[in-house]
Amino acid sequence: MSVPMSATIAVSGNAALRVSSTLADREAGWRLVHHLARFIDDARVPGIACVIPTYDAALIEIDPVEASLERVRSYVESVLERIDVGRPLTETHRLFDVPVLYDLDGELDLAMIAEAQGLRPTEIVRLHSEPTYVVRCLGAPGGSPMLDGPAFPAPVPRLSSPRASVPQGVVSVAGRQATITPAAAPGGWPLIGRTPLVLLDLDAEPFVPYEPGDLIRFHAIERDEYDALLGTRMVAA
Amino acid sequence: MSAGFLTVIEAGSTQVTDLGRTRGPRYGVPVGGALDQRSARIANILTGNPDGAPLLEIMAMDVEFVADTDILIALAGAEASLLVGGTRRPNEQPVSVRAGETIEIRRITGGLRAYLAIRGSLDVPRLLGSCAPDSVLGFGGRLVAGQRIPLGRATPPIVNEHFGAELYRLNVPPRPDATTVDATDGPDIADFANTAARLYGEPYVVSPTSNHIGLRMTGVLPERQVQGEVLSRGVPVGAVEVPPGTELLVLHRGRGVTAGYPVLAVVTTASLDVLAQARPGQTLRFRRVSEAYAAERARAERAALDALRLRVQSVFTALDAFPTSFGRTLS
Repeated sequence: MSVPMSATIAVSGNAALRVSSTLADREAGWRLVHHLARFIDDARVPGIACVIPTYDAALIEIDPVEASLERVRSYVESVLERIDVGRPLTETHRLFDVPVLYDLDGELDLAMIAEAQGLRPTEIVRLHSEPTYVVRCLGAPGGSPMLDGPAFPAPVPRLSSPRASVPQGVVSVAGRQATITPAAAPGGWPLIGRTPLVLLDLDAEPFVPYEPGDLIRFHAIERDEYDALLGTRMVAA
Repeated sequence: MSAGFLTVIEAGSTQVTDLGRTRGPRYGVPVGGALDQRSARIANILTGNPDGAPLLEIMAMDVEFVADTDILIALAGAEASLLVGGTRRPNEQPVSVRAGETIEIRRITGGLRAYLAIRGSLDVPRLLGSCAPDSVLGFGGRLVAGQRIPLGRATPPIVNEHFGAELYRLNVPPRPDATTVDATDGPDIADFANTAARLYGEPYVVSPTSNHIGLRMTGVLPERQVQGEVLSRGVPVGAVEVPPGTELLVLHRGRGVTAGYPVLAVVTTASLDVLAQARPGQTLRFRRVSEAYAAERARAERAALDALRLRVQSVFTALDAFPTSFGRTLS
């Protein structure tokens, strides 16, 4: 069987394949890897442990005893050929409005980012809170909503030495990406603010309220509003 | 109703875990679970448990427990002294323990992580089908002295308390060489051009900052030759990366599921168990292997465990002490 033109498949160790979209249209590539992940999840293929779809790639992890990379590769190729990349991921996407106390007091990294971008801190805030973001995937740590970055002039460099612990609710940017941290964890992304909302609910599956394809908007709040909202669960508008 | 309790007297650095949370990664949560999967399976197999039953992962430090009912245990993984009621008992064999007898695990030396399984396992909370701790989610965690863990079942003593090495040699397959780490070329090896070969030529020393997320190692590092932003994407357990700084990073089962670093190489599933037992200060060498070789190793190791499971079942059957099917509670 010939390799489909929509993606390349690279062996990633003896227990994983990385499928990367080769489509010129980023949106189509993103839909391709998420449709692929959902199809494989639903099919419950013996020997496939899990699929991790992200922006333009999906990592497929296998049990190397129950399945072989060759067989999984042919299976993935056959699935890729059947995917309609024009089909939306969700029929109705939910919108989450996220209040953010931006770091205008210089506690976090906003001033540093602004300087590197040659912008004023308030312009960084405006650029970050302007777009409606699509949740591209759930990532580390703890099911973070991975978003495209704001329209900054340049990619945002990661911190040269990562923080040992970043608290939950932190809003951060790196490269051409942005996210919110649902749970405290080490982190190397520069931080621009904090949301008072709680994202994580361990009694739910998944633990976070959004899924790939949902929408997120940020809006600036003051400290008193932050204090009043602290601990409120994140829910769709 | 609980069959009894295992009480922690000396906690060391111990947690209840299993083979991991395979439903986690799709939600951005690491698979986690026993770092030395093979040893965890062996401990469970020796007690007649399913391979994925909850058990104790004991790291480096001495521990002591006591159960208020008769139980059957097995210790596998790192070399350590197992004492029951103060008397030395064999590792890698089923061992009967009377109610009230202390279970001590001391002098964990050859390796870093020992696994203690209890027949019938432990009755513990699960998240997405797994009891594996997740420090980011705040689920599970280290045991503390005084903690009482509900036992799945009691197991009366077998054959005058001398079941095990005295009567049967269960021939647990030997642990692999602890200093060689097999790896296959990673999908981004080209990013490192001719510096990639350093990985297989140079020795690396395990740093003390290593943990379940990843092992950090010092040595002559391969260097990324291309610049540019990589979008976050799924990284396999075992991924070898060269982050900024002076250390090589080998991701293990607690790794964040997405990252933006190029993957130079990937440690094989079998050698991830070797890494789980690597101590800070230990020197390791990477060996380049093919995916086909790694797959064959994985199958051979699993086949050896399948054979062990059969031997354990026949011993239990021969002793007429246990039903051949798991799940019946003996009174």
